[in-house]
Formats: sequence, C-alpha cells, structure tokens
Amino acid sequence: MSGSSPAPQPAARPAPQPAGQKVVDEILEVHDLVRSFGGVRALTGCSFGVERGSITALIGPNGAGKTTLVNVVAGAIRPQGGKVLFDGRDITGRPSHEVALGGLIRTFQISREYPAMTVLENLMVSPQRQAGEKLATVLFRPGKFRAEERAHVQRAVEVLAEFGLYGKRNDYARALSGGQKRLLELARAVMADPKMLVLDEPMAGINPALIERLADHISRLRDERGTTFLMVEHNLDVVEKMCDRAIVMAVGQTLATGTMAELRGNSEVVSAYLTGGVVEVGAKG
Amino acid sequence: MSSAWQFYIATLVIYAFVYIIAASGLNLQFGVAGIYNFAFIIFQAAGAYTTGVLSLGRPGSTGLQTYILGLHLPFPVPLLVSGVVAGLLGVGVGAVTIRRLRADYLAIALLVISLIATDLVTNATGLFNGATGLSLIPQPFASVTSSSTAYDWIYAAYAGVVCILVVLAVRVIIRSPLGRCLRALRENENAAAAIGKNVAGLRLFVFGVGGAIAGLSGSVLVSFTQAWAPSSWLYGETFVLFTALIVGGVGSNLGPVLGALLVPVVLAEGSRYLPAFGAPTLVPSLEWILIGVILVVFLWFRPTGLIPEPRRVYPRAWRAGGADENRPNLVDDDQRVAQGLVAR
Repeated sequence: MSGSSPAPQPAARPAPQPAGQKVVDEILEVHDLVRSFGGVRALTGCSFGVERGSITALIGPNGAGKTTLVNVVAGAIRPQGGKVLFDGRDITGRPSHEVALGGLIRTFQISREYPAMTVLENLMVSPQRQAGEKLATVLFRPGKFRAEERAHVQRAVEVLAEFGLYGKRNDYARALSGGQKRLLELARAVMADPKMLVLDEPMAGINPALIERLADHISRLRDERGTTFLMVEHNLDVVEKMCDRAIVMAVGQTLATGTMAELRGNSEVVSAYLTGGVVEVGAKG
Repeated sequence: MSSAWQFYIATLVIYAFVYIIAASGLNLQFGVAGIYNFAFIIFQAAGAYTTGVLSLGRPGSTGLQTYILGLHLPFPVPLLVSGVVAGLLGVGVGAVTIRRLRADYLAIALLVISLIATDLVTNATGLFNGATGLSLIPQPFASVTSSSTAYDWIYAAYAGVVCILVVLAVRVIIRSPLGRCLRALRENENAAAAIGKNVAGLRLFVFGVGGAIAGLSGSVLVSFTQAWAPSSWLYGETFVLFTALIVGGVGSNLGPVLGALLVPVVLAEGSRYLPAFGAPTLVPSLEWILIGVILVVFLWFRPTGLIPEPRRVYPRAWRAGGADENRPNLVDDDQRVAQGLVAR
C-alpha cells in the first residue's frame, strides 16, 4: 500500500469503553483514494479507518487534501481510484444523496443554510424518506404524511432546544449570526439521524465560547446517540481535548494516525506542519 | 350587453385563466425550485401543437395544412395528452441540461433552446405547418350550443375549471414536504444533496410537472383561438410570464394569480385604450418597453412582489406552558401542532 504510513501505529487505541483487546469496528474505511484536478494531485493514495463511535480528527496543513477527501467520501466528487466503505457497504463514487441516505452526513466549511426558510423549516427538510415528498401522496393522500409531519415538528423543536436555537425557530436562517449558523448546520445534520457525521472545519471562524459549546454538542451526540464523528480541524487544542484519535494528512496521503500525544512526538508530522509536507515543492494553498 | 362586448370580455377571462395556469407552472419551477426556465413558452407551445394535431383530423381535410399525426380525438383526450407530451418534453429538456448547468448558465441554455425550437418549427414545415402554423382547430364544445356567445362563456367556464384545479394542485405541492424540498433545492442545492435529497430527481420532477402545466395552458388556449403559429410563442412571451410572477410574488400561492391578472391582462390589454399616436407599431412596442421597465422596477424596489412568499410558521403552541422562551413545552400541545401544520 503506497498510502500506508511508516509512522508507528498506536499500540492501544483510546477506546471510550474500557473493554479489552477486541477487534476495532471501523464504520468508515478509506482505501488508496486518488483524485487530481488537472495537474494538482489532491489525493495520492489516501487510506485510513474511522472507528465506530469515535470522534476522529482529520488534521494536516493547508493543501493536504482534507476537504477533497471529505468531498470524495460524501459523494460530491468521484475519486479516480480507491475505495470508500461505509458501514460495510461500498459507497465509492455514489452520489451525495445516496451516501446521506446510507447514514453518512457531511457539513460544509462555509455554512450552507437555506437562507429564505425559517430555522425550524431548515430542520424539517432533513428527515429522510419523508412520505410527503412523493407527488402521489401529496395530491391524493395528504392524511398519510400529516402525522409524520407532526412528529417531525416535535423532533425538530427538541433538537432546536438542545442547540439553544428554539427562540430563533421562526426567524429566517439568513438572519442568524455566523455562530448560530454553525449550530444550525449541526442541528440540521442531527435531524437527519446520521450514523456518522463528517464535519469540515466546524469551528472555523467562531469565537472561543462557541467553540466550547460546539465541542460539548459533539461529545454529547457521540455519548447519547453513538454518532461517529470525523472532523477536519485546524485548532489542535480542540482536537486534543475532544478527539479520540487524529489522522494526519499531507500532500494527499495519510501521514500518521494516533492520539495527539503520540503525534506530537512524530517528527514527520511536525515537519509536515512546518513545510506543508514536501520541502522541495511546497504545497500550494 | 352586446354580443361583441360579451365576446370581448369572455376572451379576456379565458386569456386570464390561461395566463394564471401558465404562471402557476412557472412559479413551481422558478418561484419554488429556483430554476430559471427561459424556455417556458415552448412547453406551452408543445401543448398547443399537440392539441392541434390531435383535434384537426387528417391533413388535407382542413385546407392545405401539413402536419404530423392528424387525429381527431374526442374532447378531454387532446387536453390530457398535451399535458403528458409537454411534461415529457420538460423531463427531456431537464435531462439534457441537468448535468452541469446551473442558475444563469442553465437560463442561457434554455433561452437558446427556446430560440432553436422556434426556428425548428418554422422551418421544418412538415411538423406543424411551418410559419403559417395550424388553423381551423376544431372547437371542443361546438356541439353543445349553436350560439357563439354562449359558447364563449361555456369555454370560459371550462378554462376556469382547469385553472382552479391547477392552482389548487400547485398550492398543495408548495405547502407539502415536497414543496419544502424544492425550496431547499432553490436555497442551496449542495446542502440539500448532502442531507439526502435526490437533487437530480427533484429537478427532473419540476421540469416535468411545470412543463405539463404549461402544456395544459397551451391546450386550453389553442382550442379557443383555433390557431397556433411560431409567432404565438416567441421567447418574449416567457418574459411576460416572468414579469407577471415577479410583480405578483415569486413563490407564493396567489402571487402568480395576481401577477397574471395585472401584467398580461390589465397592462397589455390596457394599451388598447390608448389613443392612437405615432406610427402604428409604436404602441405595441411601448407595451414591451413598459413590461421591461416594470420588471426592473420591481426587481429593484420590491423583489418579493406584491404578495411575497409567506414565512411558514408553525404555531406558538409550544410556548404555551412555559415562561421560558428557550424551552419548548411539548407535553400538551399535540392537537394544536396538528392543526398548525399548514402554513399561515
């Protein structure tokens, strides 16, 4: 495997349960992903696994290919080589909505709310396979989706309350502050009842107090719902505090995986952060 | 009232219904799903031509017209087939343009498709009799009454029934979870896809349903005017409908109704009462200029239109129990929630 890292693999994973040496259950497996954009080789054989129920960070210098990786995993971009397995199924190159229906939901680096819809409606879109999304049901059997709709309103209101957005439920999403939009983005993803959330820089550009709140929400979701998280993150303090493991990417490959403490001692990782991974070439932003 | 006046008013009413049907279809595509369908008029034309060739009977039986098919089917069949044909054309055009084109580029492509369609039908004279177009299309209710005044009112009633059914159907769609999905598509397509909505499927759906509604409007119109030619569906007509939508209110239920009454009916018809001045083509040209000016003025000063899209609010019921604005009271409000599902 060209993408495998020569770095020392962690001997014992910091599993949330104190259970012994059971086989690691990986909900997401990425094998040798390759993707270029013209001459830019964004992914050059990237491989790793994400343990079910973990909070895993994806870190690395700018231009390492993290966002491309998220896009490939979530189906927004097709890979030119390699495989993505989610929950035992091969989802390589499947379109975004199929990946999402399978239980893997991603969020975006820049919040993408539905601006001219209310906060509550933003959440109401999320539940998957709604009966009221079929034309025949809508026109001829409206009773069939009313009850479902009622349940979704209840649930949406609960989720909004969890995220402290209940008071804003009838505001247009465009009227929210940047931080509130971040919360909404997460709330909207939670409303889809995902098995796994892939967050692309959820903490980017928000104040420290809100970072803490978001981190709490993520930890709570993992503990309460068993949601697995993979998050691209640049703030290493945050990663250290909340993530079980981190995957380091550089120049389109996995450089190392392990706990932050382990990675700190890895000279390759440190040099990647200083040089962008390749000293001669230098990574383009 | 003299029969001339009755004819005039009945004609206006029928045109109003036709414009309302068409505007409702465009509202679903543009207002709700955010698709700039600058080829909208070709779907109306598809419906009109379909009704024409399914009503006229064999070519040669009606003067020197040449056209395809040439069937003579009983009344509701041409209407329904027109809807289906225009809907399928919509899905086809949607499928061709769907892969990479979005927003403004899609609009450009559709506008070009509209121009190509006009040229194609004009020059491929075997299709629908070329530039001369189809004429003498039989009246569907001719056997009901021999009085032409009564006929016009019967026809107006028929157009009204189709119009009401279409407006109601569009209204139900807009308020349903399906409509919500379409609005999410309009607001942010990538986000909707990432949450599990089949964006390509929804777009094809909207092209199909909007196209079918346009086809119905064309069918209703052509059975009344009894004639249809490329000059009836130049691309400019699409912009009359866009203006109607933008004036009336994009995305709302009644916006297209009001807009269709104001722009094509009141405004265009109103110019008839201007005293003649200048060259004979001056007033019709001013009409187009006026429509353009109104479009710009509304986009500038009131982009939401006269009847804006309503903010969909679920009831305040959850707050009933608690003083705390930030904690919902979920216990005893089941019933009111159920009632409040419909937008205010």
